[in-house]
Formats: sequence, C-alpha cells, structure tokens
Amino acid sequence: MRILTYILAFSFSFLFVNGQDKKNKGRFFGGFETNAQRYLKFENNENSPEYFRSNNYLQLNYEINKWTFGMQVESYEKQALLNYYPGFDGTNVATYFAKYKAKKFEATAGYFYEQYGSGMILRAWEDRSLGINTALRGGKIFYKPTKDIKFKAFYGQQRTGFKVSEGQLYGFDIEANLSDWFSFQESDLEIGFSNVNRYQKIDEALIANPSFSPTTNAFSFRTSFTQGIFYSALEANYKSKDATMNRITNAISNQFINDGNAIQLNLGVAKDGLGIDLTLRRTENMLFTSERIPKAIGLNQSSLDYFDKVINFTPALTKQHHSNLANIYVYQAQAGVEFKSNEIMKSGETGGQIDVVYEFAKDTKLGGKYGTKVALNYASWYNLPGTYRAVPAKYETNFFGVGEKYFSDLNLEVKKQFSENTRASFLYVNQYYNKPWVEDASQDVNTHIFYSELIYNFTKSRSIRIDAEHMWADADFKNWIGGSLEYNFNEKFSLYTLDLVNYGNTKDSEEKKKHYLTVGGAYRKGATRIALGYGRQRGGLVCVGGVCRFVPESTGISLSFNTAF
Amino acid sequence: MKKIIFFFFISILGYSQNQMPNIELNAISGESVNLSTDFNEVDKLYVFSFWATWCAPCINELEAMHKKYDTWKESLNVEIIAVSIDDSRTQKRVKPFLNGKGWTYNVLLDSNQELKRALSIVNVPYTIVVKNSKIVYVSNGYSQGSEEELFNKLKEL
Repeated sequence: MRILTYILAFSFSFLFVNGQDKKNKGRFFGGFETNAQRYLKFENNENSPEYFRSNNYLQLNYEINKWTFGMQVESYEKQALLNYYPGFDGTNVATYFAKYKAKKFEATAGYFYEQYGSGMILRAWEDRSLGINTALRGGKIFYKPTKDIKFKAFYGQQRTGFKVSEGQLYGFDIEANLSDWFSFQESDLEIGFSNVNRYQKIDEALIANPSFSPTTNAFSFRTSFTQGIFYSALEANYKSKDATMNRITNAISNQFINDGNAIQLNLGVAKDGLGIDLTLRRTENMLFTSERIPKAIGLNQSSLDYFDKVINFTPALTKQHHSNLANIYVYQAQAGVEFKSNEIMKSGETGGQIDVVYEFAKDTKLGGKYGTKVALNYASWYNLPGTYRAVPAKYETNFFGVGEKYFSDLNLEVKKQFSENTRASFLYVNQYYNKPWVEDASQDVNTHIFYSELIYNFTKSRSIRIDAEHMWADADFKNWIGGSLEYNFNEKFSLYTLDLVNYGNTKDSEEKKKHYLTVGGAYRKGATRIALGYGRQRGGLVCVGGVCRFVPESTGISLSFNTAF
Repeated sequence: MKKIIFFFFISILGYSQNQMPNIELNAISGESVNLSTDFNEVDKLYVFSFWATWCAPCINELEAMHKKYDTWKESLNVEIIAVSIDDSRTQKRVKPFLNGKGWTYNVLLDSNQELKRALSIVNVPYTIVVKNSKIVYVSNGYSQGSEEELFNKLKEL
C-alpha cells in the first residue's frame, strides 16, 4: 500500500509540474529488470528454503525542463536470490530523488550516487548482480564556475537494505584543470582534492571512555598529467585514526586504534597500435564504513561480506577474464585490516599491474591479412610487510617491500582474424592464489589455463561461437575442463550450452566430480532482452568488476528480463 | 498491488518520448559533454555504443563497426560515440586499449554509471541511436553481424 501512495504522489507531482508549463509536457522514462530463479535443489540443506526467488527493479523518472524526478521500486519475492544481503527483503520504494540541473549548477535531494576521484575515499554505487546499493540519502550539489573548475559537496546517510545506516557522511571535492593556467598546448594537467567525513556516535555502553573520536576524516589528493603519448596519475589518501574492527569477534575496542592510507601511481604510453599501462598501489587499513561494527549475520557472516555500509571502493587491480575457468580463483582487493588467526594477519595490500597491448599491422609477417592483436598482462599482490601481533592485536608496517604473497596472474591473449568469416582468440593464464589468506582454505593454488575461442559466420547474422578450456591446478579442487557453444540464429535469437567438469577433484566423494551443465537461450528486440536458462551453478565467487559475491552451489531454472522505456 | 504497479508501468509506456537524459560526462580527451545538448546537429545520426574493456562482445561490436566506419561515413552523416562504463578498476586501461585497437571513436567515460543507470541499461553491449535529439533505435546486446542490421536501420532513419 505504501508503494501505491508513493507512486500516486509521484504522479501528482508530475501533474503539478506539468500544469505549470503547458508547452513542455516533459517526459517519462525508466526501465524494468527481473531476475528470477526456481531452485530445484540446494546443495547445503537450508532450513525450509524458499524455492522460488526473484529480484525485481522498476525505475521511473520524469524529466521536465531542468528538473528530473525519479524513483526505484525493488521487490524481492518471495525472497532475494541466494546469498543476497538479508536486508533486501519484500517490496518497497528503495530510492527516490529530485534533481535540478542548469548549465553550471546541479542539485539533488533524496537518494543519489557519487564518486570522488577513483573512489578510494568515496563511491556510492549500485550493482544489482552483486546486490550492492550504497546510495546516499540526503543532498548533493555540483557547481562549475568555469570550464576548468568543478566543485561538489554532499551530506547523506548510506542506504542499507530498505533503510539507511546510522553514520552521517559529509564531503566535498574540488577538481581543477590547470592546463590553460600554465598555457599548456600539448599537455594536460589536472588536480583534485576531496574530504569525506563520517560521524557515528560512540555507544558508551559498548565502549566506555572511548579513546577515539566519533568523527573519522578521510582526505584524498590526486593529480594527472598527460604529455603527448605519455600519461601519468598519482593519488594519495589518508583516513584519520579510528577503532579498527576485529573481524574475528566482530567488535571494536579502545586498544586497537589505527589510521589508514593509500597511494596509487599510474603511468602509461598510448600511441597507434601500442598501449602500455602500469599501476602500483599500496593500501593500508582503508576499509571505510558508515557504521564501525557490521551487523552479524548467522554465525560466520557479517554485513561486510555483502559490501553493506562500505563508503569507499578499492577495486582489485587484475585483469577480468572472460574464460570461465580463469574466474574460479579471482582476486579481491585486501584494503582493510583483517586478523584471522595467529598466522594470518593482514593490514592491507601492496602490488601492481602492467598491461601491454600491441597490434601487428595488416600485411606484415605476424599481422597477416587482417592484423593480429596481442595483450599481455601481469598483476601481483602482497600483504604489507611489517610486524604483527595477534593478541592483543597490533601491527606496524613498512612502506616499501612486500609481505605474504596473496595473488599473481600472468596472462597472454592473442586475437586473430583468419578470413572474412573466421576469427579466433587464444589465452594462456598462470595464476597463484593464496586461498588461506584471501578466502578461507588450507592450501594455496597454482594454475595454468589454456583457453581458445572460435567465431564463425555462416551468413551476415547467423554465427557460431565455440570455446574450449582446460585448467591445471595443483591443489584445492584440482583440474577442470570446460567448453561452451553459442549459436546465433539471427540478430534476435540465440541458444547456448556450457559445461564445466571438475574431473580432477579428489577432495570430495566421486559424486562431486560432476558436470556443471547449463543450457539456455536469449531473445532480444529493441530495448528488451529476455533470457531463460536451466542448469547447475558452480558454487563460488561471482565477480563483477573485481568485486565478488559468494554464491552457494545450486540447480535451477533462471529467467531474466530487462527493458527500458 | 503488483497489478497496480504493472498497469502504471504499462500506462506510462504511452507517454514515453525518449531523449538522452540531461547528464554531463567527461570525454577521454578531457572536456565535459552534455548528453542532451551536445549531440544535436540537425539530421545527424549519433550512435552511442556502451562498452567496457572487459566485455568481449562489446569489443567485437566496436571492432566490427570500426572496420565499416569509413564506408558508413561515406554514405551517411553518422558519428559513433563509445561510452565506456569501466569503473576505476579498469578505467585506466581504456586509453592504452583504444590506441592498441586504433579506434578513432569519441570516447566518453561513465565511470560511476550515471548515464547507464538513467537509461536503465542492465548489461553491455547496448546501442542507442539518436537523431534530432530523439532516441530512434535501441539494441540491447550484440550478436555477430548485428552491425549490418544497424547499418540498414541507419539508412532508413
């Protein structure tokens, strides 16, 4: 009923605004998305599990002149898909906003998304497939007095489920392009500074005489410089002293108070046919949340496992592979302090990534008739070096050097077109994944993966795509083999089948050496896409953009539908 | 309750008259552009192709269009704008990527996905054609060869 009220209020506000201006009626736009699952079998016998689950999102916006009004209704019926944050429950209005935008000035009231710099101290964002929505409820402004200066500020409380969190956030950001100032012709220089401030009252029933302040301040400075084919960027961040959460006890104390910092350097060359990009980053105690203590969920989880109430964004700087097997051991950035046992004590991460992209031109020996594209990528990440003590918790880090290795990935991809109708790609990946440190397990894993893909066009729109891959892994679930086939009947309709086989599994009983077979199809027309699938989903991490969500293994029928209007 | 929402949803479909939203993004070249006011040369076709460096079909689509771009431009007044939805994880990779590929598109950075969200785009690849400030064609996805269909559509528009 409440939703109906909101929708009616929304429509009336539209009529009201509409009535003021007879000439311009404004316009409605929005979209609808549904992802539904009929589970047939749960791997881990939950108590009275719900077999039919769906996540639905309806977005409605109305724009007239300089105003935009919008809302998003979310519905998780009968329950959200497996392992979404429990706060996403039932049907309700999730976000709403009113925005005014003029040429130099913009103001938003209600829920909004925002990012300062690369997001290392602030990113409020949405990713439905990961169940992340950290929109802020409050207000923000944007002001651009000249074409070279941008100023932003906000106040808000962060969304958690259908509620908002207790912490209050304030922030501002200023960005200036100094090229004209220095009369640069061929170069470009930009600088930016931001501050984000979180206030959360300290509950003195839990912490008597707190030795830390209720306000935590984060600062960020960034600069980027481009000269011809070369570019560079530097970002430095600092988070003031605050009680550091102990993830074992899910509690804070007066004895474990730390500040945090992060520094990132990016250098690159970009010219015709060649691109080189290097990023180095060191992050220490940069988990920044709108509430100090996450909500405990069940016995082993907390809201942090669902990225709930996280203010900033520290992406894993590794390559996102499209091979299925290369996505079994995926790195997740280790931005914060996490003491797991007497042996595993993490305070952040340090490391880097390099990419080299090169195209062998057409009509050369290696380029052939159509050219050949080569991409090389290497990433390596480590714990911060220093001294660590488990009880009582304490650490001291060194700026340079590396600690325990978390992850590395060396990969080479070659893409080649052989004829008008045939294209192929080959990928080799060598990964090291320190599973005990990054997730929870007893062994670390070394893998080699070969992946190849072939696309053949029968006619202009009828095509087939086949891929095959194999992974050699020396531990954990050992070797896998996989393949998929996709047939595009025309622009609108396609069918696919995918199978992954964990044939090397010696960990579980024979029964576990099974196929993860999926079949499905998709139909699309205009802005609408509908897809239906059936099969067994591998349990593990589902990752989008370096952020991962754990999904238990399941078998079922899935339906997804999305459209925009 | 659900029915009411559904009917409401259907009834507004009739009202929708689509344009690009009033949003400003940064181009990779540095300047900011407004989606609703900076792409309105009379009768020009603007093809907005949403992509990401990690999205293989997106790259196939942009690659396929890249091969035909010169031919398209000979017969039509058309411009392709590649809107990258890469967030800060992969955004730094966009520039070397473009040069490695030799693409000449105007590239916009939708780093916190404000435009993607306003247009209710769920997945990339996603293509929108704008003519005289109106969205005249949308394609939700890409399959091998759909650039031909797109070209045929562009000729009709």
